[in-house]
Amino acid sequence: MWGHMYAINREDAQILFCDLNSAFAMAEQQAHPSLRGRPIGVTNRLSKHCCVIAASYEAKALGIKVGMRLDEAQQLCPDFIMLETDPPKYHHMYKSLARIMKTYSPNVYMKSIDEGVIDLHGTMDTINKGRSMEAIGYEIKQRLRQEVGSWMKVNIGIAPNRFLAKQAASWHKPDGLDRIDHRNLAEYYKGIALTDLSGIAKHYEARLNAANIFTPTEFLEASPDFLKRFVFHSVIGEDWAQRLRGFEVDNVPTRLGNVGRQWVLKKPSNDESFILPCFHYLCETTGKKLRYQNVDARGLMVWARFQTGDQWYQRRMFKSTFYTDQDLYARALYLFSQRPKHMIIQSMGLTCYELTPSTRNQVSLLDAVNRDEWLTTAVDEINDMYGTFKIFSANALLGTKTVQQKIPFGGTKYFELLLKQA
Amino acid sequence: MDPTAHINERVDVIAVFRKGGGIASLCMPAKMYFRGQEILLIELGLRHPTVAGKRMIHIFDMTDGSNDYRLEFDAEGLTWTLVAILEGSRVGSYVRH
Repeated sequence: MWGHMYAINREDAQILFCDLNSAFAMAEQQAHPSLRGRPIGVTNRLSKHCCVIAASYEAKALGIKVGMRLDEAQQLCPDFIMLETDPPKYHHMYKSLARIMKTYSPNVYMKSIDEGVIDLHGTMDTINKGRSMEAIGYEIKQRLRQEVGSWMKVNIGIAPNRFLAKQAASWHKPDGLDRIDHRNLAEYYKGIALTDLSGIAKHYEARLNAANIFTPTEFLEASPDFLKRFVFHSVIGEDWAQRLRGFEVDNVPTRLGNVGRQWVLKKPSNDESFILPCFHYLCETTGKKLRYQNVDARGLMVWARFQTGDQWYQRRMFKSTFYTDQDLYARALYLFSQRPKHMIIQSMGLTCYELTPSTRNQVSLLDAVNRDEWLTTAVDEINDMYGTFKIFSANALLGTKTVQQKIPFGGTKYFELLLKQA
Repeated sequence: MDPTAHINERVDVIAVFRKGGGIASLCMPAKMYFRGQEILLIELGLRHPTVAGKRMIHIFDMTDGSNDYRLEFDAEGLTWTLVAILEGSRVGSYVRH
């Protein structure tokens, strides 16, 4: 018999999850009326062997999946159209969705470029007085169509916690609106598989299967103690027990742990005159990220993957912190020069860790330190004024022409600046 | 593969500014003169802003019913540029059933 805290949460559902499915493909169809109703995909860099990073619903219906290569997609559908990503378009969509969501509650958390959560606790008797959760959901759909475009569709999920709200948002795609709460929770779990649960993929499924749990209903019926001791071997088991029952365990703010950049070479190479300018460019973009997040780093790791499939990395914790492009590149180059130089590089990158809040506003007693700070600030200000990479190290010139900026899929930590403008 | 034809040419445009309506349609190009041809733009696909340094650029994705046009309005230089055309006849014959 479980204690009260492990019963199903009977609280009114006040979490609303918005999910723009096939977001990039939908944005392209919104922008190009000729592409509406057609199987299209979006990729970062158009080439013969490029991958689909977002597919329209029409393409998905034909079996075209995210991650599929262009030639494979064209075998399934000869009329399949692939477009290159257009970041400003997706930023605009993200900002529009965030702006709409923020009108219903001050507690809005954008989980990624195409999904976000509105916590409506405390607003149902004030700014949302007299409206049901469903009414708010339908209003968001309508406003998105009015303020962005008529092709825009958003899946909305309503539930007492973030996990169930996300599940509800993916229940009936596209353009669905569903509620999961204590009334239909058990019924909902009967109709899905374990891997339909957000956060349960192959490995966790195997763990659950090994403990004789094969369905979400059996997962729900398992005691928190059993999940902790025999399935997940940690508090993750208890978290899952609460999550499945509608209790909130996912509203924990994430801490910025590392900042970095990686790049896959179009043509693998070990030519230093090509590799080093590109590596220098990766260092400069990482430096910009550090300064944007207003943090300094002490730890640095550089890595490379070779054509042979082998991997190499070198890391070091430095005595002093760093944030300027020059400092970062000098330290990264020191580590990078220790790689096996005869190996042909397929991909490479760097990660800064052990981040601390920046102290660069304090004037140093050392003139050299101040000069570095002022130079970096001046260069950043000029680049802000005239566009990114108007001033950069001459050595990184080839890199600025070769390495492309990709669309970040995961967190929105570099979009927060855009969110403030929304 | 990608049916977009890149143009990047300055064009003459007649734009309409509305006093009301949704934020997406307050301003939109209505007619464009391109290489001696008059093109009537009948529907706005998407308008979104972007920046080139501190210069504000408004991008209008428009259609004349058969082709899609990407127009850029430089709010500082007050110029219109036809960036690309997506020809409707090149998007294939797929029809959703």
